[in-house]
Amino acid sequence: MRKHGLGLLTVLLLMIFFLVAAHSQEEMISVDNSIFPNPERVASVFEHEAHNEAAEIDECNECHHVYEDGVKLEDESSEDMLCSDCHQIEVSDDQPSLMQAFHANCKGCHRSEKKGPVMCGECHRKERGGD
Amino acid sequence: MHELYGLLTGPLAWAAFFVFIGGSLYRLATMLILVHKKEKFIFTYMSWKYSFRSIFHWIIPFATTNWKKHPVLTIVTFAFHICLFLTPLFLLAHIVLWDEAWHISWWSLPDSLADMMTLVVVGACVFYLIRRISLPEVQYVTSASDYVILLIVAAPFVTGFIAYHQWLNYPLFLNLHILSGEIMLVAIPFTRLSHMIFSPFTRAYMGSEFGAVRHAKDW
Amino acid sequence: MTEAAKKETPKGLDQGIEVGASSLTGEKIEGVIKSVLDNETGARLKTYVDTCIHCGLCSEACHYYLSHDNDPRYSPVGKVKQTMWEMLRKKGKVSPEFIKKAAVISHTECNLCKRCAMYCPFGIDIAYIMSVVRRIIHRLGVTPLYIQDTAHSHAVTMNQMWVKGDEWPDTLQWQEEEAQDEIPCLRIPLDKEGADIMYSVIAPEPKFQAQLIYQAAVIMDVAGVNWTMPSGIGWDNSDMAMFTGDNELMGRIKRTHYETASRLKVKRIVMGECGHAFRSVYDMGNRWLGWREPPIPIVHAIDFYYELIKSGKIKIAKKYDQPVTLHDPCNVVRGGGLHEKARYVIRAICEELIEMHPNREHNYCCAAGGGVINCGPPYKMTRVHGNKIKAEQLFAAKAKGAKTLVTPCHNCHSGLEDIVHHYEVGLGLKFISDILYEVMEKP
Repeated sequence: MRKHGLGLLTVLLLMIFFLVAAHSQEEMISVDNSIFPNPERVASVFEHEAHNEAAEIDECNECHHVYEDGVKLEDESSEDMLCSDCHQIEVSDDQPSLMQAFHANCKGCHRSEKKGPVMCGECHRKERGGD
Repeated sequence: MHELYGLLTGPLAWAAFFVFIGGSLYRLATMLILVHKKEKFIFTYMSWKYSFRSIFHWIIPFATTNWKKHPVLTIVTFAFHICLFLTPLFLLAHIVLWDEAWHISWWSLPDSLADMMTLVVVGACVFYLIRRISLPEVQYVTSASDYVILLIVAAPFVTGFIAYHQWLNYPLFLNLHILSGEIMLVAIPFTRLSHMIFSPFTRAYMGSEFGAVRHAKDW
Repeated sequence: MTEAAKKETPKGLDQGIEVGASSLTGEKIEGVIKSVLDNETGARLKTYVDTCIHCGLCSEACHYYLSHDNDPRYSPVGKVKQTMWEMLRKKGKVSPEFIKKAAVISHTECNLCKRCAMYCPFGIDIAYIMSVVRRIIHRLGVTPLYIQDTAHSHAVTMNQMWVKGDEWPDTLQWQEEEAQDEIPCLRIPLDKEGADIMYSVIAPEPKFQAQLIYQAAVIMDVAGVNWTMPSGIGWDNSDMAMFTGDNELMGRIKRTHYETASRLKVKRIVMGECGHAFRSVYDMGNRWLGWREPPIPIVHAIDFYYELIKSGKIKIAKKYDQPVTLHDPCNVVRGGGLHEKARYVIRAICEELIEMHPNREHNYCCAAGGGVINCGPPYKMTRVHGNKIKAEQLFAAKAKGAKTLVTPCHNCHSGLEDIVHHYEVGLGLKFISDILYEVMEKP
């Protein structure tokens, strides 16, 4: 009985987890900046589905990358991890900080593709913040 | 907008810093060469001790007779120059750009404080404008160039303030902000904004003459 | 006030300026201005003009500005605008009328007192800029008549007042005889080689203030100083060429002065109570001749009296009992830092010193120095109306009890005399030596 209960609870929890994850991905409108203790700017606008559709990105690891020894691994991806799992808030020698990573990932791509927002206030939009 | 922003933050930024640094060094070098060629005696009268004695008195608010005579102007002038230097140097958004381009970064001001410091600069520019128009002794020696340099200094702060608050057309004002900042940098060596470069030298020379030769205070 | 002042001193009655300007052509003006700017100025002028931010903060430094109810045309930078800026802007293409105006402004509305240099946040030397204007005026031959005459006197006689070769030793011997009535064995040693001190004066002293030489002789004698005076040229330390921009003549005058001292093998030159002469021998003439500092130590009367009193060589019998106020002359105070020594001397010889305000380096100019009084009668009222503020400053000192006004400078003396008289200030005027002579212990 106790075993069954535990199994049921695990299944339930997993269901909730995926539900929340799926739901939140659908509804994602901004980058989660809650890990920053005192953010100076409002969270960056980011509509995941709309972005990927407009940008014609099919591969998760376009953004959710994995680096090893400074080389991006083409067949690995990291969408099951949090950015902050690798990128710390503080700058370290071997890894861009979390803010640097966000900026490099978004703005870096936008600049090289000459598409999408590149100015501070185009992503950190005051009227969307309401924080 | 990508092309314009790319131009402003790329080639034009390079050009602006090149002209600012190169131009300042050029003005400084030509001044020193001219001293060497025609007024060599200036070097023989320069004194470190009295140069700094004079400079220190004049960069401390109310440490000189004339600062004391003009308390409002003194407060405005010191606040203006301090904010004028510190705000762009320690603005988070600027440091982020330095970091992205050169992987260098340093301590930054909280945005809310930088916002207030920007207002101080803009307010001081308004004060200077009113002073120029309303005081006869200032009006009498004012020429069009005086208004132009005031505008050159105020513009990056006004546009920066509007852009930060994302009022009106954000991309337009951010681009105007970058452009006006670059204009200011370029203007420093080649307008009377060059007092930024020269004033320590004129002050030091007068301080040296007063200290070492005249045995008198120059404040 | 301003308009009235203008009417009372009609500009354009100066023969030196009128006749000089009548022969000017645009070509000549342009050539001279360019020549001076290109060949005789350098980094200083250029940097000063480029750095000036047109803030007007120098205005309140100037007694002319303050005395004309803050008329901006009299502010230091206002005067630069009306002269040098215009010459630079038009690249020398200015009219003879403009040159006449520039001559009047640079020669009679600025005393080169350098008070404004202490008020400019950048330390821009506005008096130097006005000196460059005067140099241009000199090279155009438009210098005001009276001061040009004194320069001519320097050129011909090596003294400022056309004192002839024999008049000088004659005057000294006359004063020696006069003084011998008081101190029988007193001498004014002439051309005494190897004396410690050469005493030099300005030419107005033998011309019409010979009692000052008398007093100096008594002070020297009582103090037991080993001194001498030259019997020939080189005795006059004054220098109006410095103020007319005739630098070549200034060089001749100062060379003669230093060489006379050097021929007499003296250790030091002590000079009478004169400001502009101090500026010339201590600061300007030596530089023109290529000396960083004077080739022979220069001691101003203030410094000398300080030395004599402090060392006890002169003792005071009974202090001067009227309260005095001290006017700090620009050239020895802002130009030589002698203000505290002057106060030491005054306190040693007078019962009470009542300070005027402002004082020391910040004292208002007398409006006579810088060659302005030497431009003569046509500009007397320019000086007097241009220094109403001085009268106010003196009245305030008088209200605090001052009865006598002391100033250790000839130009200040003459200028203040006019101020005191015109505004009916009612203060007696004295040199330090007048009082020192009166109160010292004599055998």
